[in-house]
Amino acid sequence: MSRVDELERLYQTSYTAVVRFLYRKVWDADRAEDLAQEVFLRLFQHKPEKPRAWIFAVAANLARDEARSAIRRRKHLTLLSTDPTPAPSRVQAADEAVEHDEQMEAVQQALAALTPRDREVLLLWDAGLSYPEIAAQTGLAVGAVGTTLARARKRLVEAYDTQHAQDHAAHS
Amino acid sequence: MRHIPEEELHSYLDQALSRSQCVEIESHLARCAWCRASRDGIAALRDRTTALLSTLTPVRHRIPPSWESLSLRAAARSSRHVRLGRAGLWAASIAAAVALGWAGQALLHRAPLALPQQAAQAVLNDSGPVQQLALQRPGEHTGTPEAPGPVITPPGRRAGTVTAAKQRVVEERSAPMDSDSSVSAYSPSEPVGSRLSAGGLPSRDFGLSGGGMWRTLSWDNAQRERGESVPRIRGLPVVEVQVAAASRDSSGQPTMIVAQQLRSGQLIHTIEGPATDVTRLLASQRPEGASPWPTMDSDSTAVSDGTMAMRHGDRMLAIQASPSVPADSLRAMIRRLNAANR
Repeated sequence: MSRVDELERLYQTSYTAVVRFLYRKVWDADRAEDLAQEVFLRLFQHKPEKPRAWIFAVAANLARDEARSAIRRRKHLTLLSTDPTPAPSRVQAADEAVEHDEQMEAVQQALAALTPRDREVLLLWDAGLSYPEIAAQTGLAVGAVGTTLARARKRLVEAYDTQHAQDHAAHS
Repeated sequence: MRHIPEEELHSYLDQALSRSQCVEIESHLARCAWCRASRDGIAALRDRTTALLSTLTPVRHRIPPSWESLSLRAAARSSRHVRLGRAGLWAASIAAAVALGWAGQALLHRAPLALPQQAAQAVLNDSGPVQQLALQRPGEHTGTPEAPGPVITPPGRRAGTVTAAKQRVVEERSAPMDSDSSVSAYSPSEPVGSRLSAGGLPSRDFGLSGGGMWRTLSWDNAQRERGESVPRIRGLPVVEVQVAAASRDSSGQPTMIVAQQLRSGQLIHTIEGPATDVTRLLASQRPEGASPWPTMDSDSTAVSDGTMAMRHGDRMLAIQASPSVPADSLRAMIRRLNAANR
């Protein structure tokens, strides 16, 4: 398989995973798609040695830059506007959709409760990276990836259950 | 008996252990109920984590772009980088020229007998190759100075004129002339017109059945003959250039076809020439059974099966690529080409 074919195959098999990985960092589906396309444009230009690990490293960097500029934008907006932003008046008809949104929010908060390193390792694992690839990207020893994942999984589930219990108590 | 640590069971379930480690763990699990329970608990935790994370999946409304359109965007971006690089070179040479004039004048005010070359050298000692390219000594003037640089004028002598002639040569070669093997097959020293062909062209997928004589030129020869008017997508290697031997157009510029290669290996042809000739050429390329190429009014655009054409007065510009290249990409390319050609 030629180099270009290999990259094309990677694009076909990993695009969705990259979008999902980015979405879990920027929390905006459109933005995640834009950034994912940027990742693959760069992949095409650079043709790195280990492309699979490389795309997630670039995605993580782009998401970090995005977070920084979002903070700057927010500060700027706070300075510009003193009016309170009107709350979205979206009416959710289906109970199911509401429940899904609540669950999503609870998982999002549980994820936010992890340390940045635990969160990164967990998201990279979920994106399909191997232990050595995760180790290379995060600077951990390969042997430490298992330990980190064990901790991250346990904490995520604990944080979610705590969150869920609180929500439940608030509703009843 | 030592039990298996939790993190090792995570690694085991994640299939991140070596074969021998797995065998060791499996043989332990076979005789230790406590570790089997622990493994089942960890497997459930793993599944639960995956299920929770799967709720964090974006609702997608967009269809991912095709690989071809992405590669075209990457190619377009590379060519933009080349252009920005050129702008950088210009800026550097102008900055060097200003610095040179300023430093030279300062030195001359202090020591009127200092030679301009020495003054220049004082500046160049700390400067890179770009600035050195920008310096031209009197008597070596080979091109038209495009950027009027500051002039150091010692009594009876004029020096320090800045030109970018050399720089232009460097930058032009850097864009389309890659070390593409098919380019080197047509040696630059080959006399123009020695590759005459009637009908079939050496291109892999662009047979000319419209008749007439065509010359195949190397990129160097095409540039020498036609200068800046060779239509091409900047940043892509030029595979070959074909020029019609005769033109029906009063302007005298015959039809030219430039074949360039995308990184995916696909060829893209840019065709520029008198509207009648280009229309005839495009019509001859239509697959059997397809509708004929439409007659186009002046200042109109037509697109069909990977071909896009734009007519401007009596001239026509067309791009022909694989049908998998999206129309939007073609449209963007032809607009850029058209803007560059005017």
